Amino acid sequence: MAYKPQYYPGSTSVAENRRKHMSNNVEKLREVSDEDLTAMLGHRAPGSDYPSTHPPLAEMGEPDCPVRQMVTPTPGTAAGDRVRYVQWADSMYNAPSVPYWRSYHAAINHRGVDPGTLSGRQVVEARERDMEACAKEQVETEMTCPGLAGLRGATVHGHSCRLQEDGVMFDMLDRRRLEGDVIIQDKDQVGVPLDRKVNMGKPMSEAEAAKRTTFYRIDNVAFRDDKEVIEWMQRVWELRTLYGYQPHD
Amino acid sequence: MVDYYSASKKPIQVEIFPQKLLMPDTAEELLNTIDKVTGVLRMMIQGSSLPMRVSCGPGTGTPIERSERRIINVSGQAFELNIRVGRIRVELEDRSAKEPLREAVEKSLPIPFEFKEGFFFRKKASLTDYAKYGFKSREDQSINIEDTRLLGLSDPKANPKDRICMIESNE
Repeated sequence: MAYKPQYYPGSTSVAENRRKHMSNNVEKLREVSDEDLTAMLGHRAPGSDYPSTHPPLAEMGEPDCPVRQMVTPTPGTAAGDRVRYVQWADSMYNAPSVPYWRSYHAAINHRGVDPGTLSGRQVVEARERDMEACAKEQVETEMTCPGLAGLRGATVHGHSCRLQEDGVMFDMLDRRRLEGDVIIQDKDQVGVPLDRKVNMGKPMSEAEAAKRTTFYRIDNVAFRDDKEVIEWMQRVWELRTLYGYQPHD
Repeated sequence: MVDYYSASKKPIQVEIFPQKLLMPDTAEELLNTIDKVTGVLRMMIQGSSLPMRVSCGPGTGTPIERSERRIINVSGQAFELNIRVGRIRVELEDRSAKEPLREAVEKSLPIPFEFKEGFFFRKKASLTDYAKYGFKSREDQSINIEDTRLLGLSDPKANPKDRICMIESNE
């Protein structure tokens, strides 16, 4: 029987969503073109070539190394791309993704990525085209609600603020806002104005966000509602406390 | 607003904490509503800043043009609202003004809010205030400030001219 990874315990909607994010079994909700994504990331001009930091690996004459022979380089590595980042801020008010789950999604489903998890933001560093592939997946799927999450390279303030009256997470640099019933982004990650307005689509309604979120919240699905999760958390902490965490025990 | 010094009763302070951050139109309407309540001595708004320029990162210095950073009008006094209003603290001349204030806010604010009494801004000068304003003279060691209502309304290091708005009493 083929091995099927079991990603997260629990029977609540939050546990189910966490499993979806980790296994990349996520629903695609919107379309963002490659050019729009490149513009929002702000690392290079849309449509331009990927700048490189070294020649393509095929031209470099790599040393005879069994590990290099076993591991196929990612497209970005093979082409010699620069390392660039994508950074997210997700609102505590039922945003679809928790910073840790963006990291799990990136680390489990993408190669050559370096996810960094902080309390209010999450960053993925990788070769530029690998990072863009990861970012595109996250921006187009149910992992992101344009009203409750945002691409924020600098000034990430907002994830723990109350939502605005219009239901959008506060953004100090006004990178994106509700125009009509859709979210429009017209600045890149660091707040530099773009020459275009990127339509990110409709934000999720409160009910939909509560359904798709991976945040445990006392006013939605509380952490202690899920007995199986509690049981496993206690087991993990007990084993760590007693003699160091050994996942196979 | 009533004259602070004529208040012979015991002032109380309350905080209005909306469930969501207020957009300028709502904030303007709410502040005007609060100001019309009899017995309001002073009020303070607090919230996340709406900067005019990007202050860090590769985009430092880039202007931020946003329609929400605009002039609002409270009882005929115009000032620039440069924050997203998150809480409003009000000092009332006595407890009898508390319920009228709650009713006025309930009518004006379209979203749920917390309404709690407490001690939020000081009435007496602190050591920092003395360091900033000094004594009146060698003989009179009270704080050298004309209007003690200013105490506790803004950061002692900030320029009060940019942050405090005086609304004249009708009486």
